[in-house]
Amino acid sequence: MDCTRCDEEAIMHAAYSGAHLCQHHFRESVEKRVRRRVRRDDLVPQDATPDDPLTWVIGLSGGKDSVVLTRILHDTFAEDPRIELVGLTIHEGIEGYRDESVEACVELTDELEMRHELVSYEEEFGIRMDDVVEDDPENMAACAYCGVFRRDLLSTYAEDLGADLLLTGHNLDDEAQTALMNFLEGDVAQIAKHFDASLGPLSERGEQSEFVPRAKPLRDVPEKEVALYAHVEDLPAHITECPHASEAYRGEIQQLLYDLEENHPGTRHSILSGYEELAGIVADDRAGDAEDDGGGPDLRECAECGSTTTREICRKCSLLESLA
Amino acid sequence: MRVTVDVKGEDSRELELADVPTDAPEPTYADLLREVGLSPHEVSVLVDGRPVPEDQPVESERVTVLRLIKGG
Repeated sequence: MDCTRCDEEAIMHAAYSGAHLCQHHFRESVEKRVRRRVRRDDLVPQDATPDDPLTWVIGLSGGKDSVVLTRILHDTFAEDPRIELVGLTIHEGIEGYRDESVEACVELTDELEMRHELVSYEEEFGIRMDDVVEDDPENMAACAYCGVFRRDLLSTYAEDLGADLLLTGHNLDDEAQTALMNFLEGDVAQIAKHFDASLGPLSERGEQSEFVPRAKPLRDVPEKEVALYAHVEDLPAHITECPHASEAYRGEIQQLLYDLEENHPGTRHSILSGYEELAGIVADDRAGDAEDDGGGPDLRECAECGSTTTREICRKCSLLESLA
Repeated sequence: MRVTVDVKGEDSRELELADVPTDAPEPTYADLLREVGLSPHEVSVLVDGRPVPEDQPVESERVTVLRLIKGG
């Protein structure tokens, strides 16, 4: 089977577009989608200048998604004096698993000659995920603890590094799953938050001055294509599943989406684009309501660590307390 | 033709190609995947180390399947 765009042999078929692509045109197509998303999300503001460059921190886990994102952003912006890229890796204290992926991160950032920072739950919080899953004082899935700690460190370090933007490697499958989960859970507040925190074009997001804005420029690329890109580019991505992974509901949604996609190619794309449009409307609506009420949610400083939260003690500190 | 489907890191399965159900004129790599309980959206199929489009008819007696690894 020939490539849709040239005479070379195709290496993949995208049922949602009908295209068969050779290695060269597949690579080009993935890179184009990431760059188009960077433009559509207004990630590089008009007033960015080489004299006052922006710092973009990439959440770099060493898995295929963040490795592919880092490589494409590096290829796009390494020569651009308006943007400085920094890789930020978090070691959760998962023996074997994370040690290997940290090596992948070091190898990649060395090769790209990119700044790289490594932080760990152990140094920051005095805990390791391997122990947390043993204790499990809140009777929760491992990912529920880990997500709270990871988000805390990502935002704390993004701020410490003077980040203007925090980028993560969420792909189309990840975001379509999240969209569908928020919808099925009827969580309209979460949908509005999703838009303001990471989905909306930077210029259209509601005021969130307390937090470093986030972005997900890989979200137009299906997970399978991200993996294929890492494979054909021979990137040092780490390929082992987290031994504590246990997001049962997400797994169910993932299977549902595979089945839908099989019979109705393009379902993930249409879920996400419709969701983003609705999320923008809901976010606007909520911002209007908040103004009428005299402000948004009551944000205050956590009594323990000082980070921004809606509670007296933030979620991270209350989890750390129950683990102590 | 008998086809060996080698799912990397897991089992290897042997299938008789003529018995694989298909809507296409001949069974495709996607049909093979369906037989071993996988979706073409969660794996890539390699023939002689090279990725192949899953909608193509099976032409090789041995295929390798690379599973997606979740998360980072």
